[in-house]
Amino acid sequence: MKGDIVIIGGGITGIALAHELARRGEDVVVLEKRFIGSGSTFRCGTGIRQQFGDEANVQVMKRSVELWKKYSEEYGFPFKQTGYLFLLYSEEEISQFKENISIQNRFGVPTKLITPEEAKEIVPLLDVSEVMAASWNPTDGKADPFHATTAFALHAQEMGARIYEYTEVKDIIIEKGEIKGVKTNKGTIKTGIVVNATNAWAKLINAMAKVPIRIPIEPYKHQAIITQPIKRDTINPMVISFKYEDSYLTQTDHGGIIGGVGYEVGPTYDLSPSYTFLREVTAYLSKIVPAIRELLILRTWAGYYAKTPDSNPAIGRINEIDEYYIAAGFSGHGFMMAPAVAEMLSDLITKGKSKLPIEWYDPYRFERGELRQKALQMG
Amino acid sequence: MLMGDKMRPLDLYEKDASKKVTIYFEGKALEAYEGEKLPVALLANGIYWITTSLQGRKRGAFTFGPLPVVINGIKNMDGRKTLVKDGMRIERQNYGEFQEAVEIDGSKEVLREVVDVVIIGGGPAGIGATLELQEHLTVALIEERGWLGGLMFLKSIQQEGFEKEPKKVIKELTSQFNENVKVFTGTIALGVFDEGEYFLVPAVKKDQLIEIMAKRVVLATGAVENILLFENNEFPGVFRLDFALEVINKWGVAPGKRVALVGRKPERIIPELEKWGIEYIVVPNPKRVEGEEKVERLIDTNGNVYEVDAVIVSDYRLPDINPITQAGGKLRFKWGYYVPVLDEQNCIREGIYVAGSATGIKPHYANYLEGRLVGAYILKEFGHDVTPAVYREKLEEYEPESMPMQRIEFKDMNLEDVQICGCDVNLKKVDDVVKKGITDLQIVKRLTHLAMGFCQGRFCLFNGALLVSQRTGVDMAKIDLPVARPPLKNVRVKSLARRE
Repeated sequence: MKGDIVIIGGGITGIALAHELARRGEDVVVLEKRFIGSGSTFRCGTGIRQQFGDEANVQVMKRSVELWKKYSEEYGFPFKQTGYLFLLYSEEEISQFKENISIQNRFGVPTKLITPEEAKEIVPLLDVSEVMAASWNPTDGKADPFHATTAFALHAQEMGARIYEYTEVKDIIIEKGEIKGVKTNKGTIKTGIVVNATNAWAKLINAMAKVPIRIPIEPYKHQAIITQPIKRDTINPMVISFKYEDSYLTQTDHGGIIGGVGYEVGPTYDLSPSYTFLREVTAYLSKIVPAIRELLILRTWAGYYAKTPDSNPAIGRINEIDEYYIAAGFSGHGFMMAPAVAEMLSDLITKGKSKLPIEWYDPYRFERGELRQKALQMG
Repeated sequence: MLMGDKMRPLDLYEKDASKKVTIYFEGKALEAYEGEKLPVALLANGIYWITTSLQGRKRGAFTFGPLPVVINGIKNMDGRKTLVKDGMRIERQNYGEFQEAVEIDGSKEVLREVVDVVIIGGGPAGIGATLELQEHLTVALIEERGWLGGLMFLKSIQQEGFEKEPKKVIKELTSQFNENVKVFTGTIALGVFDEGEYFLVPAVKKDQLIEIMAKRVVLATGAVENILLFENNEFPGVFRLDFALEVINKWGVAPGKRVALVGRKPERIIPELEKWGIEYIVVPNPKRVEGEEKVERLIDTNGNVYEVDAVIVSDYRLPDINPITQAGGKLRFKWGYYVPVLDEQNCIREGIYVAGSATGIKPHYANYLEGRLVGAYILKEFGHDVTPAVYREKLEEYEPESMPMQRIEFKDMNLEDVQICGCDVNLKKVDDVVKKGITDLQIVKRLTHLAMGFCQGRFCLFNGALLVSQRTGVDMAKIDLPVARPPLKNVRVKSLARRE
């Protein structure tokens, strides 16, 4: 078996990349050790936002939202621009968000500061008694990770991409600095180009490729909760509160209230949901929306934040290995970024450069000690 | 015998007149009894339709799906957990309606218990394990329902291996519990968590949170009824067998005046119906139930129409696999259903034991023996002089029951009307995804919401696996089954929210 480009990892990043490369006529293979989305994508909090605090992430996410909109319309999966609402509780928070807003506005993202009363108009169930202001961007949104990933996968396959599930990579064959193939539990695939899109497992794949530079990506357990479905349009935007343990919550397309808090365990590959999380998330979410108190909990689950020291991913080419690319370490932002990352990385692979600020995510920055401003992160 | 001017239409006998009260359903005054389970009181008055699903399907209390109702003006109350009080006003609602203005109640202290062994499930297996363990160890016995004895308690016919009628047997056994035993009825165990040397089993009784720490865990979590797939299989008036037994034997109310029995094991309920003189017919091949607000007729696959007012599904039982997978156990496919993979001491992993119908479907007495066996294993582990082999030998006389493989008759049914799951997931929705070429149950689940709702797959996952297996030819044993996540059963957010 062979493939011109082999993507390791069938999460949203690998699948969206396969989709974009196939669209450009490339011969591409995805290797996924379990089923698509099974790593972190199907466990994500569904949010897609442009409200970041640095220029690169704002630009990349602006493009990503354009692509989310385009593909959700073409393929018919749920993506809704229902906004992100950051609740702010202190002057300090407000002044930080004012800075962020000015960066966002500069790149055409229409975020604005609104009053607690205006926030309550958007989500009438909010408790705004302690809220001083809110940062509101109506063009942020959310998508259904199951339908989105499946749609990208099915369309990638239609355009010729091959996706092999339950296929685990065991080794990467490199001769004289050139990639020759990838060994899996089901046989070897000949290829000259490998993309490491394994996020939480990126360090293991980097080790197989003997990547000579340090790319610190570690898996941390983050958890989420979902309640019984309630009537539609009850909580449309993603609501964020840093005051209450970096909480987030919104209503899914199916109707349940999904949410999480900043409670983090790791580095670990363990994904068992914990009791501590249950106690915390129920307390904090009901501080933000008291009516949640009376809803039934359906379940909790865990996924990974594959974290780097500055919470920005490592995206780029590893020059010492011909040709090895990485797109991993998304630190909780992999789902929202995926369409833009697919475009950026496809540009890099097929044209050698990208119009988007890919250098912000330079995988060599850790080795060089050039950490970026920490990406805005929650949950 | 159902008639009599002192009785409601479906009462089987006269109730304590001193407890007679009036309740109002949709504004209409009804006769009820203080302390009676709400849906039973409504049933006795001939009312089956109590709530409405998100998709607008009429629902009763006795199949699957939740039972949210408006009680005294408060929405989203659990009808199944509501007991009648005088003057109570009840209204129907849609699943999506909830209470917007809520009371922030004062802080309720968490109750904490430390015991040697926590047993989840108070059926014959849990009782057997308790009796074995109590001589030397402290035990917390958690039972979700309001009584001990599980399904056996709901039967009135003497059960094989026991010498008296079930209620008496249960009473005699549980009256032997000593001071080492703490019993928590009406209490939902949320799951099993590792906590250093201990296991933590948090549980909720009403809204009270109880944290139980134990050195060993026994999952005596039992079995669930197999959900039969036919059109409108969750319509008001369709009864799951355990609910039918409960209304008859615990509450003295008939499921209907003329009942149809569907499913492959009508013998599981026929003696009970005959005992009470409830008229029944056996219909082995149901296709569809119909009616306005409740079952009025059943149509079989040959087109025969039966005028009935209730349908009882009397089929096989399946081990409840959710507590097993949540606690970290693996499954295998044996006897036609999924069972936990156990070591020689009935453990799914170190310190967590399984007993009773959770390991395979057997008579109540065999489950009781298996409870004693597991109790003996634990005692032995703690250094006590016991001989588990005695129970082991007796238990070997009982091979778990095998369930024959079913076939879903796709082409004969209107698949949109066949509910595979109580959360508005119909057979067509699932089959359409599989037909698109998505055959991994893990992904089918996420695209259809099968096993992602109120029961977390307890009732629907098996049929999902069956559908995938039948459509793709993949062996049931090879299907990657999703695991259950805590909480094992639905509790309200407020019961867990940490107090400051």
